[in-house]
Amino acid sequence: MMNYPQVLFQNRKADRIATLEEYRQSGGYEGLSDALSKASHKEVQQVLLDAVLLGRGGAAFPAGRKLMTVADDAPHPRYIVCNADEMEPGTFKDRVLIHADPHMLIEGMIIAGYGAQAEKGIIFIRPEYESAAIILEREIEIAEKAGYLGKNILGSGYSLDIVVHRSAGRYICGEVTAQLNALMGKRANPQQPPPYPTEKGLWERPTVLQNVETLACMPHILRNGPEWFKKLALTETGAGTKIFSVSGRVNSPGCYELPMGVRLSEIIEVHAGGMVEGSEYKACLPGGASTRFLPRDFYDIEMDFDTMRNVGHRLGTGAIMVFDQKTCLVAATLNLVEFFARESCGWCTPCREGLPYIRDLLRRLEEGQGEEEYIPMLQQMSKHLWSSYCAFAPGAVSPVESLITYFEDEVREHISQRKCPFK
Amino acid sequence: MPKIIIDDREIEVPEGTKVIEAAEQLGIMIPRFCYHPALGSVGACRVCAVKFLEGPFKGVQMSCMIDAKDGMIVSTNDEEAVEFRRNIIEWLMLNHPHDCPVCDEGGHCLLQDMTVSGGHGMRRYLGLKRTYRDQYLGPLVQHEMNRCIHCYRCSRFYQEFAGYFDLGVMQSANRTYFGRFKDGILESPFTGNLSDICPTGVYTDRPSRFFGRRWDYQRSPSLCINCSLGCHTTVSARYRQVVRQEARYSEAVNGYFICDRGRHGFHYARTETRPWQALIEGREVPTEGAVRAARERLAEIVSSGGPRSVACLGSGRSSLETQAMLGQLCQKKGWQGPSYFMDKSLTGKAKTAVSRLDPELAVSLRELEGSDAIVVVGADPINEAPMLALAMRQAQRRGGKIAVIDPRPIFLPFDFNHLPVRLDEINLYLSALVKAAVDPELIVDAGKDAIEFYQEAPSLEIVAASLQEKASILAQELRAGQRVVIVCGTQIVRETTPALAADHAKFLRAAKKQAGLFYLLPQANSFGAALLASSEVSFLEIIQGVEKGEIKGLIVAENDPFYSFHDRQRLELAIEKLDLLVVLDCIESTAVKKANVFLPTSTLYEAGGIFINQEGRVQAAPRAYLGGISIAQIGGGDHPPRVYGSDIPGGELRAAYQFLSQIGNGDQIEDDDPTRRSLLRWIADNIPPLAEIPPFDELSENGMRISSSNDTSPQFAVNWQEEKEKGKGSEGPLEIILTDWTFGTEELSSFSPPLMKLERKPYASMHTDDAARLGLGHGDKAKIKLDEGNLEVDVCIEENMASGVVILPRHRLLEWQKIKSLPKFVRFEEIEKVSG
Amino acid sequence: MIPRELKESLAQHIASIDHPRELVVDVMFAVQDHYGYLSDEAVEEVAELLDMSPLEVEQLATFYTFIYREPVGKYVIHVCDSVICWMEGHESLLDHLSGKLGINLGETTPDGMFSLLPVCCIGYCDRAPAILINKKVYGPLTIEKLDDILEKLRAEGLTPSI
Ligand SMILES: Cc1cc2nc3c(=O)[nH]c(=O)nc-3n(C[C@H](O)[C@H](O)[C@H](O)COP(=O)(O)O)c2cc1C
Ligand code: SF4
Ligand code: FES
Repeated sequence: MMNYPQVLFQNRKADRIATLEEYRQSGGYEGLSDALSKASHKEVQQVLLDAVLLGRGGAAFPAGRKLMTVADDAPHPRYIVCNADEMEPGTFKDRVLIHADPHMLIEGMIIAGYGAQAEKGIIFIRPEYESAAIILEREIEIAEKAGYLGKNILGSGYSLDIVVHRSAGRYICGEVTAQLNALMGKRANPQQPPPYPTEKGLWERPTVLQNVETLACMPHILRNGPEWFKKLALTETGAGTKIFSVSGRVNSPGCYELPMGVRLSEIIEVHAGGMVEGSEYKACLPGGASTRFLPRDFYDIEMDFDTMRNVGHRLGTGAIMVFDQKTCLVAATLNLVEFFARESCGWCTPCREGLPYIRDLLRRLEEGQGEEEYIPMLQQMSKHLWSSYCAFAPGAVSPVESLITYFEDEVREHISQRKCPFK
Repeated sequence: MPKIIIDDREIEVPEGTKVIEAAEQLGIMIPRFCYHPALGSVGACRVCAVKFLEGPFKGVQMSCMIDAKDGMIVSTNDEEAVEFRRNIIEWLMLNHPHDCPVCDEGGHCLLQDMTVSGGHGMRRYLGLKRTYRDQYLGPLVQHEMNRCIHCYRCSRFYQEFAGYFDLGVMQSANRTYFGRFKDGILESPFTGNLSDICPTGVYTDRPSRFFGRRWDYQRSPSLCINCSLGCHTTVSARYRQVVRQEARYSEAVNGYFICDRGRHGFHYARTETRPWQALIEGREVPTEGAVRAARERLAEIVSSGGPRSVACLGSGRSSLETQAMLGQLCQKKGWQGPSYFMDKSLTGKAKTAVSRLDPELAVSLRELEGSDAIVVVGADPINEAPMLALAMRQAQRRGGKIAVIDPRPIFLPFDFNHLPVRLDEINLYLSALVKAAVDPELIVDAGKDAIEFYQEAPSLEIVAASLQEKASILAQELRAGQRVVIVCGTQIVRETTPALAADHAKFLRAAKKQAGLFYLLPQANSFGAALLASSEVSFLEIIQGVEKGEIKGLIVAENDPFYSFHDRQRLELAIEKLDLLVVLDCIESTAVKKANVFLPTSTLYEAGGIFINQEGRVQAAPRAYLGGISIAQIGGGDHPPRVYGSDIPGGELRAAYQFLSQIGNGDQIEDDDPTRRSLLRWIADNIPPLAEIPPFDELSENGMRISSSNDTSPQFAVNWQEEKEKGKGSEGPLEIILTDWTFGTEELSSFSPPLMKLERKPYASMHTDDAARLGLGHGDKAKIKLDEGNLEVDVCIEENMASGVVILPRHRLLEWQKIKSLPKFVRFEEIEKVSG
Repeated sequence: MIPRELKESLAQHIASIDHPRELVVDVMFAVQDHYGYLSDEAVEEVAELLDMSPLEVEQLATFYTFIYREPVGKYVIHVCDSVICWMEGHESLLDHLSGKLGINLGETTPDGMFSLLPVCCIGYCDRAPAILINKKVYGPLTIEKLDDILEKLRAEGLTPSI
C-alpha cells in the first residue's frame, strides 16, 4: 500500500473526532492567523487561485476566482455558505471529513469568509447528518471561545459568525442557487443567473458558496503555499489531494484521501481492498450518480478533473461507485433515474416530465417489455434533458447516456431476450 | 439599440428586450407557456426554445431568457429546435387528460393550440397518468389540477404580481401541486385573472361553466363600469345573455388584468328580476304608451307650474350619451338640473377633481406603476377601485414607497405606511408630509405663491406623537422620490381636500419633482357627470324643491336614490309628494317600484356607450349583443318558449338617452344613429373639454385623454388657520364615515350572484380605544342612535384606523340611511352595546 | 396547540435574527417534534410564528422529505433505496421489514410504533445496505441485525417515557 501524504485526514481517527487542541497541534489555525495578520483579503484570493483549488462539490470551479467575483464595493453583510448537503448518491466524503476534523472546515470557512469580506457564515447540512450538525455547533462554540470566530478575530479587526442550518432533505438543495432559496425560506428551486450569487445571493447580498472539502483545503494552502498544494497532485494539471468515497462491489468501501490524479485501478485495487470475492470490475460511476459510467477501458485512468474531461467524463465529487459483471446496468440506471425523477424540484418541463418518461422506458426494458425504438428515444430525450433549467437534469441523464454508449449490447439483450439477462 | 436577425429578418429593439419579444415584434409567435408579458420570463416550461446560430449564445436556448444582442442570428424553425419543442409538448401531454371535448378551456386553450400546431397527434407514452385531487376555491374559479402543465403562471400572478399568499405551489417533482393550503374561498379580489392567464383549463371561470365554447360566444370589447377606473374587458354573450367577462389588454389603463368585481359585475344585465316591461303605476304597458304618458304628464306639470317644476336626476353609471341627453333636455326645456350627485359636497368634490386635473399632472393607471412614491389621501384602493391597488403594488415592487392618509382600516396587498387620521386632519397631514419632503432650496425660484404656500403650510409638528416616527420616515421616502403621485379619493374626504391635493401636486412640480395626480371618483362615469352637472342643483336641492312644492315632476335616469341617498325617510316623503316620478333604468330598484312611469333601458352591453374614467380618458364600448330576455329565462326551462311572437322578447328596450329624447323631444326613434350623432354635436358645442372627441367608433383602443382643467381655482390658496382649528377636532363626537367595500356596496355588481357569495356581513369598524371606552368587544352588536332611529350593527375592532370615527359600509343590508345630514357625528352616549 | 414555553422560545429565537424566514425549517422541525408530525394545526402555528400564510409554510412543508404532513409512528424507518443499497440487497431488507411489521412503504403499524418510508441515498454508502431510524443510521445491515434492532426499539418504545 502506498503511503500518500494525508492532509485533510491527517487527524482522522477511527473512533472520534479530532479536538481543537489536536487540530492546533497539527498546524491548525496557523494559516488563518497568518492570513489575518499578513495578507489582505485580495492576497488570500490570489493564493487560492494560484493553488488551482477547484471546487470539490462537483462543478470544479476555481475557488479563488469565485472569491474574486465579489466586487470591492459590493454591499454588506456578505455571506459565506458551506455546502454540506451532500445528497448525491454515492457521496459521503463531507460527512467523514466533518467527523474527522471539524475545525479544518471551520478554519476554511473563516479564510474564505475573509477572502470575501463576509460577516456571516452558514453551514447548510442535510438532515441525515444530524450528528455532524451537532458536532459542528459544538465546535463552532469552541472556536468562538478560542477567538477564531465572532468579533475581531485574533485581533485582526475581521469578524465572522457561523451558524448551522439544517435542511429537511431534497437533493436539489445542493445546487447553489436552490440552496440560497432554501436558506431564505423559499422553495428550493434553482435560479438561473444573472445575477450571480457572488453579486446578489442571500438576501440580495454577495454570497460565496463552497463545498466542505473545498473549504477544508484552504487552511493548508494558506499555511503551506500554493506550490506545495499543486505538488500534492500526481498529474501536471491537478492540484491537491482528493477524498474519494468508494462504494459498491469492493472489499473496503470508505473514504480515501489520495493525490489528485491517482489511477482508478489503484484506488480500487490498493486502497479500497480490491473487488469482492467473485466479482469483476464492469464499470463505475466515478464521481457520483450524475456522472457517466466508466467502463473497463478506462480502468487505469488518472482521476483528475482534466484527464477525465479529456475523455468525455466528469470527476464530479470523486464518489466512485463500483459495479461488477453480475450487476445489471439497466437496472442500476433505472434505480438512478428513479432517484432523479423523485428528487427533481419540479420547476422545468424536461426534468419534471422527461425523467419519469425515461424511467418508464427503462422499467419496461428491465421487465422485458422493451422495444428496439426505445433506444433512440432514450438517446433523444436524454439529449433534450440537457436543455433543462439547471444542471440537475444533465446530471440525471449522464448514466442513461453512458449506458447506451458503452453498454448498448446489454440493453439490446434485454429486448431480444424479453427479460433481464441478469435474472 | 441592439439589432438581431430572427428567421432571416432583422429588427432593432430596445436594450433588454428578450428574443421572444423581439420575435413577436416581427410577427413571429414563438410558443410559450410560462412566459407572460406581465409576469416576465422564468424559463420553466422550455417550450420557447429556438436555435441560436451566431452571437454570444449558441445552440438550442430559451428565447424568453435571453436578451436580444447585436450580432445574434436566431432560427425559430431550425430542425433541432423544432424537435426539442415537439418533445416538450409530448412531455406536457403525458399527464394531461385527453378530454378537450368536455373541458371548459377547450377552444381557447394554449396547450391545445400548441399540441395541434406542433403536430403531436399520437401518444407514445405507455405509462399511467398522474392524477390530482381538485380543491374548492370559491364561487369564481373552478380548479382542475389534472390539466396542469406546471407553468407557474398562477402562483407567480397570485403571489408576486398581486401580493396574496393563499394560493401557491406545493409538493415537488412531478407531484407539484398548485392550490391552497385547504379548500376555501380565495382571498384575493383578483382571482378571475387565474382563468385568463392559465394556459390550460386548471382554472376556469366557474359561474359560466358548461355554457358554451369560446367560438359559440359573441365576443366584443367592452368596459367595466363597476368603478371609476374604466378597465377594458371582453364580454361574451350567448343566447341573449352575457355569460362571461374577461380582462382585455389595455396599454393605458388596466394592463392585462381586471378585478373580480369588474369581471363578475355584469349579472345585473341578466338577472331574473331585471325589469323588462314598461310600467304605468305598476301596470305593464307597451313601451310607446309609457313614453307617451310620461311626455303628456310632464307637459301638464310644466303648463301648470312652469318649466322649473320639473327636475332631472342622472348618475355616474350612465353613459355620456345619457348624461348629456339630460343636460340637453334641461337646457332646452328649462327644467331643473340635471343633478348627478346626491349632495352638494359630492358635486363640489367631483367638479373640483375634474377641473383641477391638469393634463400636466394627470397620470394613467399604468403610468402610476412607474412612480416611486405614492401618497394616498382619503382613498381605500382595494375597496373603492381594486385595480388601483394592483397598480400600486407594481410601483411598490419596483421600489416605490407608499403612504396612505385615511381614517379607515386600510389593507393593501403590499408594504405601505398608514397614517390613520380623522377626516379633518387629512389636509394638515398631507401638507405636513409634502412640506417635509421638499427641499427648501429647490423652490426658491418656484414663484411667490408656492413659496408662501410652503412657508405657511403646517410642518410635521402637527403630527400626533404616536405617528411622528412613521411620518418622518414617510417624509424621507417622499423626499427621495422623483416621480411622486398623489392619489386622492372624493368619497369620504372633506370638500377642500381634492383641491388641496392638486395644489400639492403643483407644488411638488414647482419643487422639481415629476409630480402626478390621480383622483378616484365615485362611479364609472362620474367624470362625465361632473363635466355636465349643474353646480346649483344637487339631489338634496331637488328634494328641498319638492318639499317646498316647487318641483312636481322628477325624471330619474339610471339612478336609485333609495340605494344611495343618506336620508331615507326624507326621500320617501319627498317622492310621495311628487305628482310624477319617471324612472328609466335597467335594474330592479326601489325607485323603479315607486315610479309612476317606468321605462326599461338597455345596458351598456346592449347599447354601447361612452364613459370617461377618473383620469379624463374618454372610452367607448360598442354594443356586445342585441339584447332581449335570455332564452333560458323566456323558456323557463321549457321549450318552445311560452311567449309567442317573432320579435326578440324584451326587445323594446332602448338606451336611456333614446327614451329621454322621445320623452323630451317627441322623437320617433327608428335607428339610434341620428340621435347619437346630434347628441355628440351638442356635447361638443356645450362642453368645451369634449369639443374634440371623435365620433364614437373612431375612438382609438386607448380612448382619448381630455383636458378638463380650467384651473380657475386659485392655486396654493388655503386658509391654514381654519384648517388647523378643524384639525384640532373635539374630544367627543365620533364621525360616521360611509364607505365602499370591494363586494356588496357598488350598485350594479351587487346584483351578481357569484359576488354575493363573497360579500361579508356588514359591520361597523371602530378603533380599539373608542371601543374600549364604549365597553365594546370584537363581534359585539352595538346600537347606534341615528336621526331616524337606531341602527344595530356588529362591531369590528381595529387597531390600524383612526379613533374618533365609526366606519359603516353603504351596504344594502344595513340601515345606514337613517342619517339626516352629512357629515354626521354621534356622541359616545349614542352608542351602546346590545349583546356580546 | 404547542406548549407556551416552546412557542415563546421559538418566538424569541425568531425575534433575535435579521431574517426570520431563515428559520422556517428549524421551526417546522421543532413543532413537528412536539406533535410527532406536522399537523394542519402545526402548519398554522408555524405560519403564525413566522408571519407567513399557512400556504407559504405548506409550500415548504410538502417540499421536504423529512417534514411529515401525516401522522407517523414513534419510530420512522427510512429505508435507503438508492443504487448502492439497492445493489447490496435493499429489496430483501425491505421485504423482511414489511413482512415483520405487517406494513407497506408509506404505512404505520397499527400500534403507532413504526412507520416505513423510502428514502434516497442517505450518505452511508460505505455501510450499505443502510437505513435510518429517527434520523439515526444503521448499517451495514443483515436480516439478523435488523431483527435485533427492531426488538430493542419495540422494548424501548413500550417503556413509558418519563
Ligand atoms: C443538483 C445538484 C446538486 C448538488 N449538490 C451538491 C451538494 O450536495 N454538495 C455540494 O457541495 N455541491 C453540490 N452541487 C454543486 C453546487 O451547485 C456547487 O457547484 C458547489 O457546491 C460549489 O462549491 P465548490 O465550488 O466548492 O464545489 C450540486 C449541484 C447540482 C446541480
Ligand atoms: S432541471 Fe429543472 S426541474 Fe430539474 S431540478 Fe433543475 S430546475 Fe428543477
Ligand atoms: S416561455 Fe420560455 S421557458 Fe416558458
